[in-house]
Amino acid sequence: MEIELIVFLVMLGVFLLGNFLFKLPVSLSMAAGAVAGALVAGEGIPLRHLFEGTFVYMDTILIISTAMVFMTVIQESGALEALNAVIVSKFYKVPAVLLVLLMFIIMFPGMITGSSTAAVLSAGAIVAPILLQMGIPAPQTGAILAIGAIMGMAAPPVNIPAMLIGGGVDMPYIGFEGPLAFLTIPGAIFTVLFIGLRYCKNLDYEKIKGGLDLEIGKKYGIKLYIPIVVIVVLMVACRMLPNLIPNLGMPLIFMIGSAVGLFTGKRFNAVKAIREAMKTTVPVLGKLMGVGMFIQIMTLTGVRGYIVINCFGFGLVVLYAAICIVMPAFGAVSSYGAASVLGVPFLLALLDTGDQVVIAAALSFICSLGDLMPPTALAGNYAAQIVGEKYSKVLRYCVIPFIVCVLFGLFTLLKSRSLGFLT
Amino acid sequence: MKIETKKSWLTAIVLLCLSALTIGYLATVFLAQRQEEPIYPGPGVTEIKMLSDWYPGLKDTAGDTEVYVLKGAKEGDSMLVLGGTHANEPSGLVAAVLLIENAVVEEGTLYVIPRANNSAMTCTDPQEGAPTRFTISTPNGDRWFRFGSRATNPVHQWPDPEIYVHATSGQRLSGSETRNLNRAYPGRTDGNFTEKIAYGVAELIRQEDVAIEMDLHEASPEYPTINAMVAHEDAMLLANSAIINMALEGVSIGIEPSPTNLHGLTHRELGDFTDTYALLMETSNPSQGRLRGRTDSEMVVTGKDKFYVKAAEYGRLYVPYDEAGHPISMRVARHICGVTQVAAAFNELGLGNLVMTNIPSYAEMEGDIGPYLAPPAA
Repeated sequence: MEIELIVFLVMLGVFLLGNFLFKLPVSLSMAAGAVAGALVAGEGIPLRHLFEGTFVYMDTILIISTAMVFMTVIQESGALEALNAVIVSKFYKVPAVLLVLLMFIIMFPGMITGSSTAAVLSAGAIVAPILLQMGIPAPQTGAILAIGAIMGMAAPPVNIPAMLIGGGVDMPYIGFEGPLAFLTIPGAIFTVLFIGLRYCKNLDYEKIKGGLDLEIGKKYGIKLYIPIVVIVVLMVACRMLPNLIPNLGMPLIFMIGSAVGLFTGKRFNAVKAIREAMKTTVPVLGKLMGVGMFIQIMTLTGVRGYIVINCFGFGLVVLYAAICIVMPAFGAVSSYGAASVLGVPFLLALLDTGDQVVIAAALSFICSLGDLMPPTALAGNYAAQIVGEKYSKVLRYCVIPFIVCVLFGLFTLLKSRSLGFLT
Repeated sequence: MKIETKKSWLTAIVLLCLSALTIGYLATVFLAQRQEEPIYPGPGVTEIKMLSDWYPGLKDTAGDTEVYVLKGAKEGDSMLVLGGTHANEPSGLVAAVLLIENAVVEEGTLYVIPRANNSAMTCTDPQEGAPTRFTISTPNGDRWFRFGSRATNPVHQWPDPEIYVHATSGQRLSGSETRNLNRAYPGRTDGNFTEKIAYGVAELIRQEDVAIEMDLHEASPEYPTINAMVAHEDAMLLANSAIINMALEGVSIGIEPSPTNLHGLTHRELGDFTDTYALLMETSNPSQGRLRGRTDSEMVVTGKDKFYVKAAEYGRLYVPYDEAGHPISMRVARHICGVTQVAAAFNELGLGNLVMTNIPSYAEMEGDIGPYLAPPAA
């Protein structure tokens, strides 16, 4: 047995023991697994590496924290309730159209920022109450949010895993719009209709109406929506006019939106609300840091290379299997990491099999689905938090759409030559 | 079984103190990487300037970096060699140092920037598990060099945008490329920190009318552009002649035209925005690859890795690879051979005059570059 395999098994074993037997938080269990792996590999306790590994998530942590503040502010100010009432009352007669429309709203921030976390925490928070009002149970609503956010992250114009994969082989990010739209739009429509339509085929508006707050919108008027408009305008403007408007960054955009939201609706105790929001998000931030330590030790000790090289050892069929299984699984660490570590060598291995841009797009699509993988499961975690459910329950309803999307990604990979017209 | 912890002020204080001690210790480790590896100017060095001498906007910043000037007794043309554009590609840095410590210019001028992205030398990339230093044995003791990051230290330029838009072309890349010097050319004075470094390099070329620019890189063995010279279309004739010369020295190397739709790189932008012949060289470095095993300073120096041997067996690499690995001596020797043969081809083609001597040949260096590095100071 190779030493890298032994180290990997020890890391996994200690993580599982810590998490399931000793009921330690995921973050601490991951850190313990990383330390154990380093010890077995003869690296001692490499403090520098343990610390350095966490830094890869620095920006993500800032985005998550500020997005949580924004979400809390628009909830407390009444903007979410008001928007909820407006959308349901306008579209309740055509639930399928309403569902698809809502799915595109969930996707939008992800399309602009390339981040599923930003999507689920901004648009997801807005759409969730509407889906719940329409009668979709909380776990299923969470699943729609999670997959919608991931489809947004993978959809054009901004797909960061595709950029990372392309960057690894010096392929410019050109011609990706068609293949990415081809992959994500059917995936999004299928998911929302498959999970949601059965619950809202015959919506009883009179029944729903009771749960809607129709007054708050009338009381505060259009100004209630200003924070949401500010966020959308800043996101789009920074992206569309990069030479005119300095890049503010998602954390600052969320903070600006939050600051505006303090004055546009119901009054509330901002300090208390934000403190509560941060309390719920700290465990996820810790989880990210634990994962960062874990992967740094995997790289240091050669476990990462061991996994990658073993994906290449058994011909094309096993390579496709590895793409469908290992790449999303690596998303448990990071979907961006999967794109960089696995996506690049997989693309190189498949260069001769078809259209390179379509292949890179399909790989980035499959990578993005990794944001559903526990224990990190960024999209799933926050979707669950928004609907007030355990994330394991939410993930259960993601399984079938996830499999369908992976298979669709595989189909695209296999038929990339014929799909070259999309580029 | 659940581990119960007693929540108390004492526990909190003890944990905070431990955290503070750890952070204090790690801060010293982090700052230690700012200590520069010694470079001993050889007989050919006539002046040591700073990049800010050409672009004062870099003065007193982490982007300012030493420019070693090797001016010949006779007037002639000039060449700029860039090492350390990517500080995790160490043969560029070591090759530049070897030139500084050995080369003598008879006609023309050689400019060498060993740490083109000086900021990138001061950190390593998270999740890469990289060493911070490596050593090369010389007959008179070990020489140490830093192993840095592909990109500018985030302490000097942060945060990254989600998308990096290249200023002159509008090309979009992932946000992390914002700090990549070799995606920032031709640079601009009102851009980000890395773009300003790129602008400084372009200004040096413009102000000194540098005829040839060579950017020394490394790539992982699974990357298609490897053991290659990448040339701007204006420099193709020069590159073609040089690689024939290199082949005669026993160095097998390919030639790649600079893609016209890939922007921000030296071989594209310095060719487009200055009058220089823009060239870039790649050698094969397993220590930056995605398939590598245990990552340490030994791998950086020996270039040996068992997983790359497997990858070669699976036919997944673009270079031959076996148990002998790709040692740094061989990688540096390739770069030095490229520099000397480009200069030779430049003269042979009648493009100008640049005569350099006292540079060891590929055959002399391939097995061991140690004898050609200056002895470390006591």
